[in-house]
Amino acid sequence: MIYYGRSVRTLRNQFVWIAVVVCLALFSACNPGRTANVGPSREITDDAGRRVSIPAKVDRVVSLAPNLTEIVFAVGAGNRLVGRTSYCDYPPEAKAIAEVGDTIHPNLEPIIALKPQVVLVSTASQLEVFTQQLQGQNIAVFVTDPHDLEGVFRSIEQIGEIVGEKDRANQLVQKLRERTNAVEQAVKQKPPVRVFYQASGEPLYTAGRDSFVTDLMRRAGATSVTAGVPGAWPKYSNESALAARPEAIILPTGGSMGAANATVVEALRQSPAVLNGRVYKINDDHLARPGPRLVDGLEEMAHALHPDAFGR
Amino acid sequence: MNRVTLRKTIVACAVLAAALLLAIVLMSLLGSEPLPVRASLCALASFGTSPCGLTQDQFAILFQIRLPRILLAAAVGGSLATAGAGYQALLRNPLAEPYLLGISNGAAVGTMIALVFFGTIEWTRPILAFSGALVATFAVYRLARGRAGATPERLILAGVIVTTFLSSVIVFVTVLMDATRIRSFTFWLLGDLSGTSKALLPLTIVITIAGVLALTLHARSLNLLMLGERDAFDLGVEVGRVRIVVFLVASLLVGSSVAASGSVGYVGLVVPHLARLSLGSDNRISIPAAALGGALFVIVADTVARTIIAPRELPVGAITALIGAPLFIYLLKRA
Repeated sequence: MIYYGRSVRTLRNQFVWIAVVVCLALFSACNPGRTANVGPSREITDDAGRRVSIPAKVDRVVSLAPNLTEIVFAVGAGNRLVGRTSYCDYPPEAKAIAEVGDTIHPNLEPIIALKPQVVLVSTASQLEVFTQQLQGQNIAVFVTDPHDLEGVFRSIEQIGEIVGEKDRANQLVQKLRERTNAVEQAVKQKPPVRVFYQASGEPLYTAGRDSFVTDLMRRAGATSVTAGVPGAWPKYSNESALAARPEAIILPTGGSMGAANATVVEALRQSPAVLNGRVYKINDDHLARPGPRLVDGLEEMAHALHPDAFGR
Repeated sequence: MNRVTLRKTIVACAVLAAALLLAIVLMSLLGSEPLPVRASLCALASFGTSPCGLTQDQFAILFQIRLPRILLAAAVGGSLATAGAGYQALLRNPLAEPYLLGISNGAAVGTMIALVFFGTIEWTRPILAFSGALVATFAVYRLARGRAGATPERLILAGVIVTTFLSSVIVFVTVLMDATRIRSFTFWLLGDLSGTSKALLPLTIVITIAGVLALTLHARSLNLLMLGERDAFDLGVEVGRVRIVVFLVASLLVGSSVAASGSVGYVGLVVPHLARLSLGSDNRISIPAAALGGALFVIVADTVARTIIAPRELPVGAITALIGAPLFIYLLKRA
């Protein structure tokens, strides 16, 4: 789960962050300029538009989001991952790696103690404060923030480049592209299904304009009824969801989410989607994590929405 | 009750009740989806027995989504304002308020425990929220009583201590919660009326009405208590019993509303204050007036929350705090 809305930070949390900044600012003042990253380096521009200086050879990486852990393993650099969050449960080998907190509350001390050269973060984890602190320790922070499938492919290629597995990353992306194209070809002639994406029920959250899931639904032969709503994961009006008369509802559930979000929100019980039995549960880990398995989610969604397009 | 007071009470309550009814009707015409006004009014007038030309979806929006939410807003607003008025009279402090004293946080901790341990059993939420509110109330009360009695400053300080302590408990529990719940939970903590299932609505309304009646019946004793506990005792008020009744009833009101909607702040501060300002400090008037006014206030605030950035939504607690916090500062300056 990585889509913590920007709106849900409480004031209290902000105070905690401010306290953390102040303490760390004091701390780092007494502990100037450790130079973990020395020697030749290269610059890669991340999704926050920052030019990040990365050491030429990277063999110690910390990932602060489950999708990034999956990408690191998928490009064959799992053995260079030295830290991960408690949400990073895939592939199973990842669980053997040291935990450094979760995506929302990563723990700076163990991260620094692991002496990584690069820390991979997703903006969903809101790590502006962390970024400054880690950079103060000469640890490169690389931000990923994909808004569509192309952006996910770019994350994979860039992480491949960072860990020195550019070729494997390119091969992986090529395979994922082929699978994506196959899906798009299969559903090309089908009329798009009007879909509502219920990211969570109480309260109701959906996928908005800036979410990679909105792009994924389009590729799967669907039109998201909330494709024009600003933001990536907006809290959505129950009545607008019903008034949109979705033909189908996607329920991301299961996986690491367990039984959460397994039922359609009360307001949509009378929607055409529910009345026609077109509610599709899809493994949340395949939809909420912008990594290689997002294409699994694409295939599962397309198969659910257009079974006849795949000869069933 | 003498005749003048009785008449004043009846007039004030009748006016406010009429305004409340009007607000329920008008606000149910507003929402992220436009509904035909005439047909909606006709359907509302028929109490949902006739669709009056509304489509099935429009009918569902009006009666299954909007109206239950508005009724919940009314119950929550009425509960919180009444509880606030009760605490203010009993503690003789205009700043006593469930949210600021940490009582809402107590109820929130109770609700969280219900969510974590009895996730699907909905009726455990108000019960544990009530228990949490009660514990927090007694904690604040004990902390606030010094040798010189409970001064306003001491009470607010006690409230701050209880609030921050319980906030830490909340943060601790959220860290233990799984990731998906945290997101909906943080929204709920700010006070949100959208996610509640309709199962709790009747219970919340019944508790609100019962609580308001119970406190109104003790209004005369509360009036005497505002003179000071000793004077009240000399005038024949069973101080200990009244105190327990007010604590129990107010905790029940806060508990049921927090279980349904999270911590909607400042309602218990703004509304009773305005009631006293416009109708005088006689609790026989100000308590029922605060109940009706609170319902009105939260209905309007929630309508703003659900329409201002439609089809997206804000938590109603953000709107009530936006109005309440400046008023709180104004009150502190006057106190």
